[in-house]
Amino acid sequence: MQPQPTAAEALNAPLFASLIERLHGGDRCVVLDLGAARTETLALFGQFRSRMDIADLGDGIERFQDPEMGPEQLRQQADRLLPARGSEPANVVLCWDLLNYLPRPALAAVMSAVADRARPGALVHALIVYSSKTMSARPGCFVPVDEQRLIDVAPPGAQRDAPRYSPEDLALCMPGYTVERGRLLRNGMQEFLFRL
Amino acid sequence: MFEIGKKGTEKNQDAASRDERKPAGPSPEATAARRPAGNREAAVIGPSIHIDGDLRGEEDLVIEGEVNGTVQLKSNSLTIGTQGKVRADVYAHSIHVEGYMEGDLYGSERVNIRKSAQLRGNITSPRVSLEDGARFKGSIEMDPQAVEAALGTRRSPSGSGQSSGGQKTPGGGFNPGDSSGKTEAAGVKRG
Repeated sequence: MQPQPTAAEALNAPLFASLIERLHGGDRCVVLDLGAARTETLALFGQFRSRMDIADLGDGIERFQDPEMGPEQLRQQADRLLPARGSEPANVVLCWDLLNYLPRPALAAVMSAVADRARPGALVHALIVYSSKTMSARPGCFVPVDEQRLIDVAPPGAQRDAPRYSPEDLALCMPGYTVERGRLLRNGMQEFLFRL
Repeated sequence: MFEIGKKGTEKNQDAASRDERKPAGPSPEATAARRPAGNREAAVIGPSIHIDGDLRGEEDLVIEGEVNGTVQLKSNSLTIGTQGKVRADVYAHSIHVEGYMEGDLYGSERVNIRKSAQLRGNITSPRVSLEDGARFKGSIEMDPQAVEAALGTRRSPSGSGQSSGGQKTPGGGFNPGDSSGKTEAAGVKRG
């Protein structure tokens, strides 16, 4: 039986914990959150010397679904939805569940645009559906419960097939990123820490 | 330029603050919006009012109309009500957003984004709260040093208009490579 995420289940996320642990050094961090602004995320990162850039990509994710769009159009779309370039680049990127909802060419365009807004050496924390064949029809809404755990607070809804991107798929779509670590979580999602 | 809050009205405002007021409208939220700082009645820009230009004042203000330009209430509270549409850079002691806001917010005390808000812009404030359901795109500067620097520069409103996004990193930045513990090997290998 495939593990099914439930809205009420907090997930131990050891790579997230390791990311937060690094922030305790006290240096300033700029966080690019590809998801929606959430109180819990703000509260957690607000304890550090931080700036949060909120992209809320889930709000425009359907704009990437047109199979007729070429790489250039996809990149323009990504640039429109992400914060403007030229501001202080991010050294932490949060990418929780969203990559599952991007076809491969769109995934490549978005992560290329993200790379242009991040410092060399920046860390990207991502959650990707891996072992489950299905996923929610809409991106989940993960928030931190504390410094070690994340929870999807989106109400359970209709399901759709999951792309189940493998590390090899991701490596092809994200050539500028290397996988620093990866962990399979108990809800069947893969937790990744990428480095630019 | 529009000026609100003449000094001569302070006496009346003090008297008003001693009043036990009944709710100003049917909605408790609307009532609260008109009393953003304690019990003192705030000035209100009504839904039919449209202002283009600089708005300055020395009393609390509720915007339910449309304002384009800049809003400066250095020592007071600004509420952008549910009907309010503001396209402006806003400087205030505390800022509450319930309606539509496009521009940068500088709150020297706090910024509250309510769930009915649609906000596109940058926030610079030592305290930021955001209700779930609010639509927000932009940056939120929470680094105390950067906030202080930004609010300090913004005290001369004819400044460069520098947004929080353009701040230089105060005191260097987090280097993700500075991990105190490489705890375990990667569980995933690249193809």
